Amino acid sequence: MTLKPDGPAQPDGPLRRALVVALLGNPNTGKSTLFTALAGIPTRVGNYPGVTVEEKIGRFTHRGRVIDLIDLPGTYSLVPKSPDEQVAVDVLRGQLSGVPAPDCVVVVVDATNLERNCYLATQALALGLPTVIALTLSDVADQKGISIDAAELGRRLSCPVVRVAAPAREGISQLGDQILAVACSAPKLPTGFDTHLAAADTRHAPAARDAIARYAWIEELLAGIVRRQPPAHRSLAERIDQVLTHRLWGTLVFAATMLAMFSSIFWLAAPLMDLISAGVDAVGAGLKQLLPPGAIRSLVVDGVLAGVGGVVVFVPQIAMLFLFVAVLEGCGYLSRAAYLMDRLLCGVGLGGKSFIPLLSSFACAIPGIMAARTIENPRDRLLTILVAPLMSCSARLPVYLLLCGGFVPNIAVGFPWLRLPALVLAGMYAVGVATAALVALLLSRTLFRGPPQPFVMELPGWRWPRWPVVLERVREAVWSFLQNAGTLIVAMSIVIWALASYPRDDAAITAEVAASRTTIAARLESLPEADPDHAELSDQLAALDTDAGLDAARRGAAQRQSALGMMGRLIEPLVRPLGWDWRLGCAAVASFPAREVVLGTLGVIYNLGEIDPGDAEGGTALVRRLRAATWDGTNRKVFTLPVALSIMVFFALCAQCASTLVVIGRETNSWIWPVVTFTYMTVLAWLAAFATYQIGSLLLGVQ
Amino acid sequence: MPSLEHVTIGSTARVADVAGCDSTSLRLLEMGLTPGVNVRVVGTAPLGGPLELELRGYRLSIRRHEASRVAVAK
Repeated sequence: MTLKPDGPAQPDGPLRRALVVALLGNPNTGKSTLFTALAGIPTRVGNYPGVTVEEKIGRFTHRGRVIDLIDLPGTYSLVPKSPDEQVAVDVLRGQLSGVPAPDCVVVVVDATNLERNCYLATQALALGLPTVIALTLSDVADQKGISIDAAELGRRLSCPVVRVAAPAREGISQLGDQILAVACSAPKLPTGFDTHLAAADTRHAPAARDAIARYAWIEELLAGIVRRQPPAHRSLAERIDQVLTHRLWGTLVFAATMLAMFSSIFWLAAPLMDLISAGVDAVGAGLKQLLPPGAIRSLVVDGVLAGVGGVVVFVPQIAMLFLFVAVLEGCGYLSRAAYLMDRLLCGVGLGGKSFIPLLSSFACAIPGIMAARTIENPRDRLLTILVAPLMSCSARLPVYLLLCGGFVPNIAVGFPWLRLPALVLAGMYAVGVATAALVALLLSRTLFRGPPQPFVMELPGWRWPRWPVVLERVREAVWSFLQNAGTLIVAMSIVIWALASYPRDDAAITAEVAASRTTIAARLESLPEADPDHAELSDQLAALDTDAGLDAARRGAAQRQSALGMMGRLIEPLVRPLGWDWRLGCAAVASFPAREVVLGTLGVIYNLGEIDPGDAEGGTALVRRLRAATWDGTNRKVFTLPVALSIMVFFALCAQCASTLVVIGRETNSWIWPVVTFTYMTVLAWLAAFATYQIGSLLLGVQ
Repeated sequence: MPSLEHVTIGSTARVADVAGCDSTSLRLLEMGLTPGVNVRVVGTAPLGGPLELELRGYRLSIRRHEASRVAVAK
C-alpha cells in the first residue's frame, strides 16, 4: 500500500494538501503510544514495496489542517544496518517510491534515556528537515527524579522540544501546534559538531569517528540540562528490577511467566475455541434445516461455513498470545526474555527473540509465526518462521494420544510409573524440537550464511504497559489475520471440499458397499470365533443392515471415490514403504489442508460415519476399527506398532496445515517461503516415517 | 588490554577502544560504548549468555563475543 499526495500542488499547495509528518525514534521510547495519542487507529497498515517492513500511516486533523503521520520503524541510527533502518532513512530522504517526502519530522526522545536518544535526534537534525522533538515518557522521568530543562535543550538544538506524557495526553496539543509552526519555517542546524569531529582520533573509520564525535558533542550539549534527584525511597520499578535480574528469582519469574503464557493459549483459549466450533455447528445445523439436501447445501455447510469456522477458530489463540506479547513488550520484559534465552537459541543459529514465537507454536504455529514480528533481525525472523511449524501443535496431540493409547503396549519402562505410551508421546515432542534445531542449524550454516549478526539489545526500564497500545496490538494482529489470511483460507477450504465431494457416482458407491459386505462376510467365515476380531467384524456386518451404518458406509465409499480418495490410491506406491495401505494414504492426503481432520477422516474412510474421535466412545470405536483393519485381500494387520510409530512421526514433521502456509506467505510477503516450508517438511516427514517403519519392523520382527 | 568480557560482575570499567571497523563495531559505538564512557557490568544471563551493562543511564545487553571486542581500562 502506498500513499499518494492529494494531486498536483496548487499555488498555495503546501497549505491545501495533507501535511506529511514522519515519526522517528529509537525502539522502546513510547513511539507507538505517541502515534496512538496523535492519530488514533492507523488508516493504512501494510508493507513498504519490496520489503517486509511494516508501513503504518495515520491521518488526523489539527487546527483544521490534515496531517498524515508516517510511523517509521524504530531505529537507533541513520546509518542503516537492517531493512527496517534502511526504510526509515529512505522515507526521510524522500527516496522511497510511492511514499511522499515528509514535510516535517517528529523525533521521539525518551526522557529517561536522553543521552542515547539524542544520538538519533542529532543525526535527524542534520538532515535539514523541519524537526520537532517530542520528549516522551516525561511522567516516568519525573517519577525517577530526572528533570530536564526542555526549553534550554530546544535552544541548544535549535529546534522546539515538547514535553509529552501520552497517557494523560499532556503536551499532545502543543506538539500539534509545533508541527504546524515548524512545517512552514526554514530549519536551523545546531552548531558545534564539526569541532568535535575535527578533534576525533583519525585512526578510526569515518563512520566510527562520527559516532565518537557525536557522543562527545551530546555530552557537551546536555551539560547542565539534566538534573537527577534520586527519589527518597527506592522506586517500585527499581525493586521489581532487582527481582527480575536476580539469578535465581529472575529465572523462576521467567519460567512462571512463560508457563502462564503457554497455558493460557493452550488451555484458556480452548473453551473459546469450543464455543466458536459449537456456534459454527449450530449455524450449520440451522442451514441444513433451511436448505434442501444436495450439492448447494453441501457447498454452503461443508465448504464455506466449515472454511469460515476454520478461520475464526484461530482468533482466540492469536488474541491471547498477542495480549501477552504486547503486555510483556509494553512493560519491557520481552527484551529480558530474549536476553535470558539467547544462549540456548544462539547455539542453533537463532536468537533470544525466537523463544516466544517458538514456545507459542507448541499451542499453534499460526500465532507463533505472527509473534515472530517481534524479531527485528530479518534473518532470525525468517529462520524462526521456517522452523516454527515443526513444534508439535495442539492439533497433533489427538493423533498422538489415539495411536499411543491404541497401539503402543502399556508396559513399564525401567520404573513402574514410567509407561511406554507416555514415553512415546514425549518422544514425538522431542522429535519436533530436535528436527527444528537441526534444520535451523543447517539453514543458518548454508542458505542463511552471512555476516555475523550482532546481538546488541537495549533492556528497557520496567514500566506499566499502556492499554491503548496493547489493545491496538491485539486488534491489529487479529484483523490482519482475518483480512489477509482468512480470505485465502476460506477459498482453499472450498477447493478441498470440492476435491473430497467430487466426482460422485451413486452406482459405483452402491457397488463398493456391496463389495465390502462380501469381503467382511468372507473374512468372518475364515476366522475362528475365538479370534479377537470376530466380534468386531460381525458388528461391522450387522451395522450394514442399519440405516445409520449403511449411510456411513456410503459416505466412506463416496470419499474413497472422490478426487481426494483417488489421490490416496494414486500415491499408494509412495506410502507403502512407510507401512501404510491406500486408506491411510487417503487419510494423510485429506489431512494436508488441516491435520486436525485426520481422525474424523479415518472414521469416514473406515465406514464409521461422523464420529467424534475426541470423546471416549468415538475414540474406542475408531481404535477397534483400526485394530481390525487388514491389507486388502489378506488377513495381515495394517496397524502394527511400527506403522503407528511411522504415522506419528509423519504427523510430527509434516506441513499438514494450509492455514500455517498461508500465514507464512503473508508474514514473509512472498510465496517462495511457504513452498520451501511445505517441501522441506513433507520430504523430512516421509524420510523420518520411512526410517521409523523400516527400523521398527527390523527391531520388532514385525512384517 | 582487558576486554569488557572479563570485567567482574558488579564493577565498573572505562571503555578504551572498540576493535574492528564493521557494522558490529559501529553499532556498539552508536549504542554509546565510545572511548572514555563508564560501563557497569550489571549481570549475565545463564549458561554463559549475554552480559547486561549499564551506561549513559540505560541498560544494554551484548553477547560475550561482542563484549570481547570492547577494550577497557580499569
